[in-house]
Amino acid sequence: MRIFFIILLFFSFKVFAAQDIYQFDSIQKQQRFDALTSQLRCLVCQNQNIAESNAALAIDLRKQVYEKIQKGENDQSIVNYLVERYGDFILYRPPFNGLTLALWLGPFLFLIAGLSYLFYYLRQSKMRE
Amino acid sequence: MKFIKYFFPFILFLALMVLLLRGLSLHPSEVPSPFINKPAPSFQLPSLFDRNKMTSNQDFIGHVTLLNVWATWCVVCAEEHSVLSEIAKNSNVVLIGLNYKDSQAEAIKWLKKRGNPYHIIGVDQTGNSAIDWGVYGTPETFLIDKKGYIRYKQIGPISPQTWEQKLKPMVEKLQKEE
Amino acid sequence: MFPELGRFALILALYFSLVQALSPVWGYYKKNSVYFKLSKMAVIGQFIFLSFAMLSLIICFINNDLTVLYVREHSHDLLPLIYKMGAAWGGHEGSLLLWCLILSAWTLAFSIFSSLFHPDQTELQEKILMVLGIISFGFILFLFATSNPFQRDFPDNVIIGNDLTPILQDPGLIFHPPMLYFGYVGFAIGFAFAIAALIEGKLDKEWAAMCRPWIILPWAFLSLGIVLGSWWAYRELGWGGWWFWDPVENASLLPWLSATALIHTLIVSEKRSVFKGWTILLAIVTFALSLIGTFLVRSGVLVSVHTFASDPTRGIFLLSYLTIIIGGAFLLFAARIKYFYQAPHFKLFSRETFLLVNSIVLLSAVATIVIGTLYPIILDALNAGKISVGEPYFNTVFIPIMLPLLFLMGLAPHMNWGQQSFSDILKKLNFTFFFSLILGFFSPLLLGFEFHLLTGLGLFFGIWIILATIQYAYQIFRTQHKIPLQNWSMIVAHLGIAIFALGITINKSYSTEKQIKIAPQESVQIAGYHILFQNLATSKGPNYKSIQADFLINGTRTLTAEQRLYTAHQEFLSKPGISTNIWRDIYIALGNSISDDSWSVRLYYKPFVRWIWFGGIMLLIGGFMSLLNYLIKRRVVKHEIH
Repeated sequence: MRIFFIILLFFSFKVFAAQDIYQFDSIQKQQRFDALTSQLRCLVCQNQNIAESNAALAIDLRKQVYEKIQKGENDQSIVNYLVERYGDFILYRPPFNGLTLALWLGPFLFLIAGLSYLFYYLRQSKMRE
Repeated sequence: MKFIKYFFPFILFLALMVLLLRGLSLHPSEVPSPFINKPAPSFQLPSLFDRNKMTSNQDFIGHVTLLNVWATWCVVCAEEHSVLSEIAKNSNVVLIGLNYKDSQAEAIKWLKKRGNPYHIIGVDQTGNSAIDWGVYGTPETFLIDKKGYIRYKQIGPISPQTWEQKLKPMVEKLQKEE
Repeated sequence: MFPELGRFALILALYFSLVQALSPVWGYYKKNSVYFKLSKMAVIGQFIFLSFAMLSLIICFINNDLTVLYVREHSHDLLPLIYKMGAAWGGHEGSLLLWCLILSAWTLAFSIFSSLFHPDQTELQEKILMVLGIISFGFILFLFATSNPFQRDFPDNVIIGNDLTPILQDPGLIFHPPMLYFGYVGFAIGFAFAIAALIEGKLDKEWAAMCRPWIILPWAFLSLGIVLGSWWAYRELGWGGWWFWDPVENASLLPWLSATALIHTLIVSEKRSVFKGWTILLAIVTFALSLIGTFLVRSGVLVSVHTFASDPTRGIFLLSYLTIIIGGAFLLFAARIKYFYQAPHFKLFSRETFLLVNSIVLLSAVATIVIGTLYPIILDALNAGKISVGEPYFNTVFIPIMLPLLFLMGLAPHMNWGQQSFSDILKKLNFTFFFSLILGFFSPLLLGFEFHLLTGLGLFFGIWIILATIQYAYQIFRTQHKIPLQNWSMIVAHLGIAIFALGITINKSYSTEKQIKIAPQESVQIAGYHILFQNLATSKGPNYKSIQADFLINGTRTLTAEQRLYTAHQEFLSKPGISTNIWRDIYIALGNSISDDSWSVRLYYKPFVRWIWFGGIMLLIGGFMSLLNYLIKRRVVKHEIH
């Protein structure tokens, strides 16, 4: 039932707002805007970033990012602003901290462990010959 | 027992199944609030019925509050409204509304038609205050204690069961606090 | 009438699957071969009735029978006929029916062709049909238990259909899911082979030779399915992206990676009689990943633009089914794998070792995607908060893990079986290596582009694979005066990966994008192209209204970008206009109108984007070459026997 309401809640947004186009006075600012908005999650979408979504919340958040870049805030402070309000869930790039250590290092450890075991095993068999 | 290593895939697989089973009872798209047990974000918004009157965090002090984020274009909010009216009647929790990205005229009409369960309603036309609260959809409701700290966030509408089984006990507990 | 007929056909199919599964068991006790024939008849029966069920469902859609709940949820009177048919598998219940039908089709194909080409392997074939029967039975039961496509509901008032989501109203819908399923589901046969081997306690060359086409063909279809999905997303979603690391996309990539590893270990098992344990394990893992993917898409455990509407009971059923089938397989593996142990008789530096490294890297890639996709669930389950793991993570972690593989792909074919002298291979390949290095890192500079380290790296790997593979081909030609078809399949497949890698590298490095406000008769420049916004027109489709914007490129080519409004639910869909050639796409997406005549428009210049999919198609061609080779060889053997 809960899921039904949540889905309904998403469809409550009727997006008729005009597409926002932000002009920046420098290419670095444009690139920062593109990079930031493509790494922030649209919270009312089913797996999209706020750069690509037309949901009202995405439009509002893009506006916030734009205004903050124009005001001169750096990337970290813009990200912190949003994480303070929405938690780590809004980041598509998960933070690197104690909780996500296994996430970021796991794959490499797996690879190294696998290769190490392989060479150890082959070396062993060679010695037995 | 060197053959234990052959059970490795089986054990990994079983761990995965347990995780997925647990995953079935989670809500992957719900965003938890980072403000639980923290002071409510500061805000100051004009009242819906009187532009000269303001509502702010001061309105939380001294009693238990439910801050309800709603809008006239939100279909589910209309259903939640009847539950809110019941709460306003039968409980002494204070209901404060946050009218989110809405037309003032429509909101007034909407409340006139259905009744007004709110003590006061703040108008957030741009949605910026709501962003400060970490609002991402409607309806959402925050449970705030006597000191102005957020203690719980309800995502989605409050159903009669949610009120009876979850919110009401919490409200009563908070009312006993100093 | 058709819903009832369809339902009845499903019941018969269920019974046939039971017969198919149990006959071989009974035949084993009775020591009578007639039960094997019975099993094969059951396979035919199952296929006939599942086909009929699918046909009934499609007819319900064509008739717009809104008393069938599934039709009501996914169709609409105005929906074009071809999408009514595609909608039959656009939703959960219908797609499950498709799953069962395709499993049945594969089983039938196996039953016919393996008997044709390996008439003496009846014991093996029996066991395989038994396993496939058990799998079928479980899935058809799933349909009955939680997902009946023929569920009827007779409402009191007049009803209209819910319509198919506009984004699914595209030719891609017709082909992408079936291609994917031909892949996923086909791996059930490899799984059955592995179980049969475990039961028999042996795996010989005949097994490996027989198994190979049943791995390569699904793998080829899955490659095509993934390519189609990517191409479809590129055209439909309006942002020029072709891969999003969405959980459901990841779910389709997992069995593909594992199957690629399996193809390689299978070659070794056939030629050198080692890696048998690996082959069996990978065959089980590949099908397990297919099933887990099926689970993830339907259970509500993950949030994705692709997921079907979820229902926890479906999740529980699938999980139980998974646990029984795959858990059982892994237990059998643990108990019996010791019979397959073979001491490695190859040296550390040899082709065998590198193929093992290939498996480990591919499995690490699988682990990476699994960790990334499931990590949010793990943290949430431990009450440790909620995080999102998206594209930035996967791009950062997945690519470095796969890079060693790109290097090995050029190197390994030149390695000898058993033992390879290090100095020999150095002599053979060092020129190719350095040439690729220089070409890769410096060609952008030579052509007037900026230098980026990562671009150079990507180009190096792509060029390295191409040159090393051509060198290998040339070598074979020198010694044998021809290149056998079997070698061609590997050459084409590896070249496909190289082209894919080059496509991605160049596309990522040199794409440009512009978001602008533009009115008719105005123009804009992008990547040296002059784009004129010619005019705006309105038109109508069968179930939508549309606004079309024409753009003229460099005064010669016209491009039309559309904004559609689907009338059933007032949903907007932007259909980009794309101008394609082998070197680049020009991609224009129409946004919303800003003022009386200005529109927001996004323009993209996407170099080498078609190479990405062309590389995938080459994999498909390589796979079919291998299959052709198998057919030719079997016919030759058949002739020799007679």
